[in-house]
Order: sequence, then structure tokens, then C-alpha cells
Amino acid sequence: MFATLMTTESAIRRLAASGTLGICLAASLPLTATAAGNQSRTVVDETGRTVHLPARIERIVSLAPNLTEILYALGLEERLVGVTNQCDYPPAARQKPIVGDVVNPNLEEIIELKPDLVLGTTAGNRRETADALERLGIPVYGIDPHSIEDVLTSIRNVADLLGVAERGAELDARLRARLSSLHQRLNAVPRPRVLFAIWLDPLITVGGDTFLNDLLRQAGARSVTGELRLDWPRLSLEVALELDPDYLVLPRTHSLRSRLTDLSGRRPWQSLRAVERGQVIWLDDAVLRPGPRVVEVVEALARELHPEAFPATEAARQ
Amino acid sequence: MTTTVLTWREVARVCLLLSAALLLISLIALTLGGAAIPARSVFAAFWEGLTQSPSSLSVEHRLILFDVRLPRLFLAMIVGAALSLAGAGYQALLRNPLADPYVLGVSSGAALGTILALALAARLTLAMPLAAFVGASLTTAAVYFLGQRGGQLAPYTLLLAGVITASFLSAIIAFLLNFLSASDLRGATFWLMGDLSGTAPFSLAWLALPALMSFGVMYYYAGDLNLLLAGETEAESLGVDVGRTKLAIYLAASLATGLAVSVSGAIGYIGLLVPHLVRLLFGSDYRLLLPASALGGAVVLVTADAVARSVAAPTEVPVGAVTAVVGAPVFIYLLRFRLNDRSSASATGENS
Repeated sequence: MFATLMTTESAIRRLAASGTLGICLAASLPLTATAAGNQSRTVVDETGRTVHLPARIERIVSLAPNLTEILYALGLEERLVGVTNQCDYPPAARQKPIVGDVVNPNLEEIIELKPDLVLGTTAGNRRETADALERLGIPVYGIDPHSIEDVLTSIRNVADLLGVAERGAELDARLRARLSSLHQRLNAVPRPRVLFAIWLDPLITVGGDTFLNDLLRQAGARSVTGELRLDWPRLSLEVALELDPDYLVLPRTHSLRSRLTDLSGRRPWQSLRAVERGQVIWLDDAVLRPGPRVVEVVEALARELHPEAFPATEAARQ
Repeated sequence: MTTTVLTWREVARVCLLLSAALLLISLIALTLGGAAIPARSVFAAFWEGLTQSPSSLSVEHRLILFDVRLPRLFLAMIVGAALSLAGAGYQALLRNPLADPYVLGVSSGAALGTILALALAARLTLAMPLAAFVGASLTTAAVYFLGQRGGQLAPYTLLLAGVITASFLSAIIAFLLNFLSASDLRGATFWLMGDLSGTAPFSLAWLALPALMSFGVMYYYAGDLNLLLAGETEAESLGVDVGRTKLAIYLAASLATGLAVSVSGAIGYIGLLVPHLVRLLFGSDYRLLLPASALGGAVVLVTADAVARSVAAPTEVPVGAVTAVVGAPVFIYLLRFRLNDRSSASATGENS
């Protein structure tokens, strides 16, 4: 039996011309040959990987919702040929072929879509996925945003990569203008102390080196967990009570919302002063996606925290 | 001893039977996956590959078949065989049917090594598998010495030492996971659950080699293991160098475990289950048990992986979850209804 398998393998080796199965077989196939053809480029992505890009990138697979949103915002949806099952924005993205989930996308589905480039993010994907795709001869470009500024940089990087640098610069300028106008409004406001909870049971918050920490800052708040060095630290409830934040901020994800509509009735949480006073803010779940919509979320949070800084809008609402 | 004289003919018959099962399940597994490639095209592609005629498959489907499915199939075979061999080895060594790489803490040691490599040298391709192997070997040595009593390897002390070591190492892993960055953590927790989805970073031949070495060493001592079934004193009186046999089996089993865990994480129950099933079906002569366990382990893991890949397509279930869901109830069944009679007597060497 083993002998039979060995013959099969050696036949495949012959097919591959030379070398070891995983690495060289991919390199010898025409798929890579076209990729390595004329005018290919070599770039270094945001995670430090060297990426060999084909001259023209016509078919893109996105491995995370924020990347899907970036591609739509850049008007590149025509080139997007595959998304994950979590890519639900804009709604049209749901019509694209699905390659599996963010943590473990299906390699076969990706290959079948014949992508020129796969886009990944450290905020969701695993390095192993990128490694596996690379060995199969499919270039992977990874983004690694740790602040709103990084998100804008990632948008520009992706735009440059795909030959639409002007659109990237345009989007960047538009988002930047909104942020700076917000920044001016919030120039003199006092900064309330907020606790951002990604998950409540157990309590998981955001550390200092995350784009969420920066998002809170840009919205005129101060994260009470901003000193923590871990990205997604687990916090004990006593510490949360001791930190005594002015506001509790939560993403409006399905799992959280359905379980926690009556936060005030829950034992440890009702003794948190922010909950007692009803100072709980639910944000659109785009807050968890380092993509173009984060600016909207920053604005929304700023309005909730500092209504006094938005007099015209408040008047218009009434 | 109830064992009758084992003929080569019988060994060949059982191995041939299991090989046929492996071939069949492999062919089925090769037609399953995220991409819809018709079974006929799959077989045609292999025929074309063997006869070196031009392929009728598209470039993408050829890449999927030969670079995703086939390496994964071989990986499942090697890992399944290695885990199963390791289990058979530990069971022989301890004369205890509950012995298993997981119970002994060896796989936790390999897991700890990998997590350490992730935290310290994540960018190096070979760092993770190497550290896993080192972790497995060190744990093996530690448990081996902790499990001795009065200079002798005491089966129950060793088993307990393994259980405690496993729980200690798991606690260290829990601590370490707190210090990993979010993206590394995803990889680590995924790997801990048992996973065959990544294509191996190096040639499969490099994985098959240690597995074959481990098998070779164990098979060399198969006759001695049979004599050991009757008890250590009896074996010694029949000329078996008991200490050397045990050491060799222990090292070979640990090599197999380190190899399996380093590439696929914590896939449970194979090492516990397969040798038991083989004993139930074919008896406990190690000259038959060892090759049959290796082949059986390959069959079981290839099957489990096929289920893991197709049950929730296009997403994938960790293969460790599949083996546990199927393995745990079967193991409990074996424990309750079968271990009282023949198999326990033969596995533990207690004569009725």
C-alpha cells in the first residue's frame, strides 16, 4: 500500500519536474508562471512579508470584512471575486462568492477563484493562512493597522497596490478632513473616561496599542484601559468597578446585544456607576473593523459623548 | 497466553485488508473538498499523472488536487499512523490500556514548545515544529524519570506523573497565551485544537522519515513486547533485556508524538482508540498490532479529516473536534463493555 502511494507521489514529482512536493510544485505550475511573468513587482506589506505581485491585479480575494469595505470604498468591487462569510457590508458584498470564515478560509475555494492577489489583515487572519497561500504561489498582502492613522495608511497602501493611487489619496483626504473638523470641535472639551468592552462575560477590553484605543481618543474620550500593553486584555470585574469609568461603550454585535439588553438588571454590572446613570453607549459594529467606516463611528461616539460640541446638529434634530 | 502462533501470511492478510481500506478512503477523501471537482476528473488526473499524458484538469483544479488535497492526505496518513503507533507503544510500555501521548503529557510538552516558539521566534519557518519536537522530547525525559520508583519504571507512577505534567504544562500554556499578540493567539488556539489545514512548511518526506524510524524501532522489539505481555520477570527469564526494550519503545513513541503534534497540534483519541480497535479485531500480537495500528491510524485520521473538511463546507471543523466527538463515546463503550474481558487481559498482561 505504502508502495502504491509512493509511486503516486513520485509520479506527481515527475509532473512537478523537481524538488519537494509543497514548495516546488506550486512554483512550477503555470499559475505562478504568469504571476512571475513580465513586469511583476515586489513589495513589502505592512506585516513585513515580501510579496511578489503580478503586473495586473484583476482578481482579488478579501479575507476580512474591513478589507472588503476598503475595496468597495475605493470602487474596486468589480475586481473583488471572493469574500468571507463575515463580509456583510456593503450589503452587495454578500452576493460575492464566499471562501469560508476569517480565521480558517478554505484554500480550495480561494484557488478556484484564480486570484491575482489575496488581501489579509492581522485583525482577524492567521499567519498560517498567508504562509499556506504563499506556498501555493498566491501572493498575499497583509495590513496591520494599530491606529486610525494606520487605517488611512492601509487604505492608501491598498489603493497604490491596485493602481488606483488617486482614489486612495482622495478617500484619505476626505476621511482626514472629517477627522480634523471633528478634532477642532473637540479641542476644548473635557475627556470622559470610558471603558470599551468587546465582550462582557468574561470582560474583554482594548489595550493601548490598538486602533480602538485611538478611536476612543479621536472621539474625545480616554480609555481607562489605555495603559494596558496587551491588545485584548481580559479585565477582572473588580478592576472595572475600581476604574469607575464615566461611560461604558459596547459594539452592537449580535451576540452581545441579544444577551445584554437589560444590563442594569445584571448583578455586578448594575453597580458600575456608568450603568447606574444610564451612560452606556452602543456603537455600530463597524467599530470592530479597521476600515473606512471607522470615521463614521468616531463621529457617532463623539456626538454621544459631547452633544454640546455639536450645537447645530442638535438643534436640527429637535 | 491465549495467543496462537502468528503466521506471516496472517500479518500480510490483515495489512493488505487495511491497506485496501486506506486506499478506498483516500480515493473518497480526494474527491471531497471546498472546490467541486467531479470524482471522475480526480481519478482521470491521477491516471494522466502516472502515464505522463497531458492533463484534462484546469490549472487551478490541478493545484487544488496535487498541492492542497494530496499533501493533506499524506499528512493525515503520517500523523494518524504516528499517533496510533505512539499509543500502541506507550500501552505496551506501561502495560496499561489508558496510556496515550495525551495522557502522558508529551503532547502538552510539544504544544508548550510551539507556543514558546511563537512568542519568541514566530518568523522562523522551522522554529515551531522544532520547538514542538524539543518540547516533546524534554517532557518525555521528565515524565520518564518522574515515573520511576526505586530505579524502576513503575507503570502507575508514570501514568500519574504524565497526568500531572500535562496539567502543569497546560497551565504554563494558559499563562503564555496571555502574552501573545492577538494575531498569534488565533494561530495558537487554532493549532491547539488539532488542525491539518495548513500545507506543511517542508517536504512530507521529512515527516515520513521519523515516522518510519519510530515504526522500525518498535517493530524490532515486537517479539520482546509479546513476551513482556506475560510480565517483566517472565520476560526477563526468557532473555528479554527489559530495561533496554522499554527505553527504546519510550523514545520511539515520543518521537512519533513530537512529530505528529508539531505539524498538526493536539489531535486526540487516535493513539488511544486505534490500537484498542486493532486488538479487538485482530488480537494483541505486537508483530501484527504495530503495522495494523499504523495503517488503522492512517485510515481513521484520513476519514476524520474528510468529515472535518466537508461537514460544514466551505468552513472547516478542526479535525481534533471530529476525532474527539467520535472517539470519546467509542472509548467509553470500550471501557465499559470490552475492557473486562479479553482485551484488558491482553493489553495489561493479566492472565486469567
